[in-house]
Amino acid sequence: MHLFWMILQIVILITIAMLHVAYATYFERKIIGHMQVRMGPMRVGPHGLLQPIADGIKSFFKEDIIPECADRPGFLAAPVICLSAMIASLAVLPFAAGWVLADLNIGLLFIFAMSSLASYGVILAGWASNSKYTFLGGMRSMAQVISYEISMGLSLVGVMMLAGSLNLSEIVAAQGDSFFGMYLFPQAIGFFVFVVAMLAETNRVPFDLPEAETELVSGYCTEYSGFRYALFFMAEYIGMMVMASIGVICFLGGWHGPFSIPFPPFFWFMIKLYAIMFFFMWIRSTLPRYRYDQLMELGWKVMIPLALFNILLTGLFKTVVG
Amino acid sequence: MLVNYKPQRNLLETVFLVEILKGMALTLKRMFSRPITRQYPDEKQEPFPGFRGMHALARDPRTGGPRCVACMRCVTVCPSRCIRIRYREQEGGARLVENYEIEALRCIYCGYCEEVCPVGAVVLTELYEYCSYDRESVHFSREDLLGNWDRFMAEKKYDPATYINPFWRPRGLPEERIAAGNRRKVPREWTIAGQPVGRCHRRPGGQAESGDQGVEE
Repeated sequence: MHLFWMILQIVILITIAMLHVAYATYFERKIIGHMQVRMGPMRVGPHGLLQPIADGIKSFFKEDIIPECADRPGFLAAPVICLSAMIASLAVLPFAAGWVLADLNIGLLFIFAMSSLASYGVILAGWASNSKYTFLGGMRSMAQVISYEISMGLSLVGVMMLAGSLNLSEIVAAQGDSFFGMYLFPQAIGFFVFVVAMLAETNRVPFDLPEAETELVSGYCTEYSGFRYALFFMAEYIGMMVMASIGVICFLGGWHGPFSIPFPPFFWFMIKLYAIMFFFMWIRSTLPRYRYDQLMELGWKVMIPLALFNILLTGLFKTVVG
Repeated sequence: MLVNYKPQRNLLETVFLVEILKGMALTLKRMFSRPITRQYPDEKQEPFPGFRGMHALARDPRTGGPRCVACMRCVTVCPSRCIRIRYREQEGGARLVENYEIEALRCIYCGYCEEVCPVGAVVLTELYEYCSYDRESVHFSREDLLGNWDRFMAEKKYDPATYINPFWRPRGLPEERIAAGNRRKVPREWTIAGQPVGRCHRRPGGQAESGDQGVEE
């Protein structure tokens, strides 16, 4: 009975996440369209509302092409690794008090591990496709993940120091008595570094070098088609949501609002999550892509020192005040 | 000239990413503005005067056939050589067009053929919706081209007996150098005097050398 209940929860969580992925693509296209004074998808359903469903059906029935010279096992495994790693990190996210599948004590570490594992999928896809574009995309992804994983980890160290825990539920609970119920203000530098690293980790504009459309066709997933491509797509959007959730949990106070309102418990969480998702799309429609050397320079010379400085500052603050 | 490509920022502007914030403010502002795009199959654009679209052979209202006299001028002038004419000579020297082919996929829509045509037979209509899934159906034969003319007349509700398009006349030529069938009233910028560049503007006084009687006032 317990097992059945667990599986039911998993199914519900994955279904909701997939629906979010589908409509995140729709809202991304709509928002970017309107920011570029266009309308975005309009043809399928009223205001294109059924577009994600049509896209899903289309990608499901498309021909699945595997290049002749591709490394078959690697090629087949890569999208699955990507997606399963991303879905696995959904398990430790607390959406409201007690609404969490696995209340791990090392939740934050688990998320880091999973997002690194997902980038293995990207690198494997780039290598196994046996194509120059995908290979370049994979290489770039590797370099980018190595550089930005560090600054992301360091940017969250301040939060860990303040909360005194790696358990995500406890981090949210610890924020309750701080200003506005969130760590955003004591950890402003950390949040800035986190946002930049978050964009880089999820391969989003302006750090979308692994799938730079203008130079690498489609980067690491150039050779993928049909449903395997859709798997990468879903992995990217779930990754965005996971990163946004981490931002919400660690910096914006999770399910606590700045003031209380009689709504379902995950109301504040969702509002903050959508705000960060909107920010992803907003950034995408505004900024051009960084050059490779600029990306490395920003990562190593600005973000990591800034994150270290934040740790120092937080430590001083804790010793002097706390 | 010294061009300052990289405007100087002070330290504060660099730290707080003022330029990125400005860009983001702009995109956010644009998000609430009205889209300028047209929802094509629902709202169609009305072509501007002088639009060069689908090819047609003007139908002669007296005979019911094409006005074409097989003078071969269009074939000669066509830069992409997409026109092919087969004709038969009748007694008395009159030529009868047996077939008139236009490969629309090779055509570059320069409009030279309609300008050189002495009788206004080959024309580019204002229709622009004639795509197809195969090449054969846009390789127009004589009957297809006559059909295009009928479709043009029907869709735009023009009277085939009187319809005349001033843009079939070449631009900036004196009246006497234009074939009699093409001497039509044109807008002023279509005449020599109305040309923004060219012979009349290089001369002080700026008078056209001759005959701009066809100006529409």
